[in-house]
Amino acid sequence: MIRETIGRKKRRTKKAVSGTWVWFIFLLPTLLGIALFTVYPMIESFRLSFTKGAQEQYVGFENYRHVLGSGSFHQALFNTFYIAFFQLLIVIPLGFVIACLINSLRRGRNFFKVLFYIPNITSMVAAATVFLVVLHPHGLLNYALSAFGIPETIWLANPNSARWSVILLASWHALGFGIIINLANLQAISPDYYEAASIDGASRFKQWLYITIPNMLGSLTILIILGWIDGLQRFTEAFMLGGHTGSPARSLYTLVGFIYERGFGGLEYGVASAASYLLLILILAFTFINIKFFRMKI
Amino acid sequence: MKTMSANARRRWADGLVAILLLLLGTILIYPFLWMVSVGFERTANVNAPFPPRLIPYDFSLFNFELVFENGHLLTAYWNSGVNAFFSVILSVSSALLGGYAFSRGRFKGKKLLFILVLATMMIPFETTLIPMFIMFNEFHLIDTRYPIILPSIINAMGILLCKQFFDQLPEGLRESAKIDGAGEFKIFFHIFLPLAGPITATLAILSFQGSWNSFVWPLVVINSQDLKTVPLLLSQFSQESGTPLMGVTMATAAVSIIPVMVVFLIMQKYIIQSIALSGLKGE
Repeated sequence: MIRETIGRKKRRTKKAVSGTWVWFIFLLPTLLGIALFTVYPMIESFRLSFTKGAQEQYVGFENYRHVLGSGSFHQALFNTFYIAFFQLLIVIPLGFVIACLINSLRRGRNFFKVLFYIPNITSMVAAATVFLVVLHPHGLLNYALSAFGIPETIWLANPNSARWSVILLASWHALGFGIIINLANLQAISPDYYEAASIDGASRFKQWLYITIPNMLGSLTILIILGWIDGLQRFTEAFMLGGHTGSPARSLYTLVGFIYERGFGGLEYGVASAASYLLLILILAFTFINIKFFRMKI
Repeated sequence: MKTMSANARRRWADGLVAILLLLLGTILIYPFLWMVSVGFERTANVNAPFPPRLIPYDFSLFNFELVFENGHLLTAYWNSGVNAFFSVILSVSSALLGGYAFSRGRFKGKKLLFILVLATMMIPFETTLIPMFIMFNEFHLIDTRYPIILPSIINAMGILLCKQFFDQLPEGLRESAKIDGAGEFKIFFHIFLPLAGPITATLAILSFQGSWNSFVWPLVVINSQDLKTVPLLLSQFSQESGTPLMGVTMATAAVSIIPVMVVFLIMQKYIIQSIALSGLKGE
């Protein structure tokens, strides 16, 4: 008995000695990285957002006022929201329904998982390059639509159809991710519920409505939150289809496009930093609202 | 035979669902198949192959030969490969070490540091974009590989996945080694690391894909043709000569995705599992 206590005490003191610092060595790469590539740039970006020009002269809130009053920022805000909203409106229900269909199969689930996930693993640049050709006046999309009697559209010539082109591309790319997340959560629902319901004589559709959907609200919320975070940061799709200025008529100009153009095109670091902080606030606010709205516990 | 047996009905329903899914899946990957087909169409650079078809009328390797002719693509492949190699090493080792410390370590401020690490996932990369550029510029490292490789040392998702992995291993492993007087590093390298094969593979794949496909940051820091990565070259190519040279562009796009495609098809089980895990755990 006594020996046991001594042993325990000895072990504890040894732990305290070799204790804390050794773990910081394990964490050193990560902490160094965070300090250099996250914390420092965050502080620096905050400081820059209050300065102007190469001399970094302090100008107070002028950059924020400039950004919030700028027409091109409003345009970027509108485009970003418009594209993100409709993309999620397509991808989330569609991903959920396809995941339910795959889950209902007894065989071949894995095959369909892989098939639907393929677009997601390709780089957005390659996907957009292919879409430039799909959207070509003599491309796949017009040809497919002509089968339904829809006249030829020059997709990237008109602001509205250009935005819908980006929505289409982004949806195509993101669908697989939603399907995988939904499938994992569908498989986590206890089969007991379904068994009990089918003993009570509930049809498969009723089981879906009253068991599956309520149990899936959590994962749908996650997809909405992640979807908004990604959507507010949209750039590559719009840049690939619309170039630096988001042509036509700045319809593909996004918030990140604004930061990119003002920061690296115009070398207005202050303005770009202010815009990047506004983007950060927007993302945090949206995440918070989504969590509150869906009453999710994290 | 007015009522089918439940089993037969189920089989019919399954068959219908499978056909519907197959149809949807085909529509989804059709642009891909078409990309390959246009790449093989000899005349695609002159006329858009219309009406769209899967089997080229004039099959040839011409476009693929053109793609490799000037050597730019091979250089880009080399660049993407080197960047990915070092990024994978950095991000996987920092995730394994960090995940282990958060799983088994007992030290002050552990919870706070863990929250700090997870918080880095919430911060949009664009908020740090400009200071990062200025910082690397001051060290004269713009237009080198360093700004692309070094930041991959932060791998919050990897730390989370590693922590979960190490959490599942029995504590007894550590206790017995400790009694033998082994230090924390010895325990990690000799006992835990050899067991971490599956999670290391998963992290390596995810990190490879992320690196191979990354676009915005390389776009900002790389100017010279010699250092351009595959996505940069492809974007330059498709914006300069995109639809006018449809055949070559599609051949380039097809060649650009081969590495990620091969890795995905071989390792799909690991990839899909880890994606599902990361989404599940967010709950």
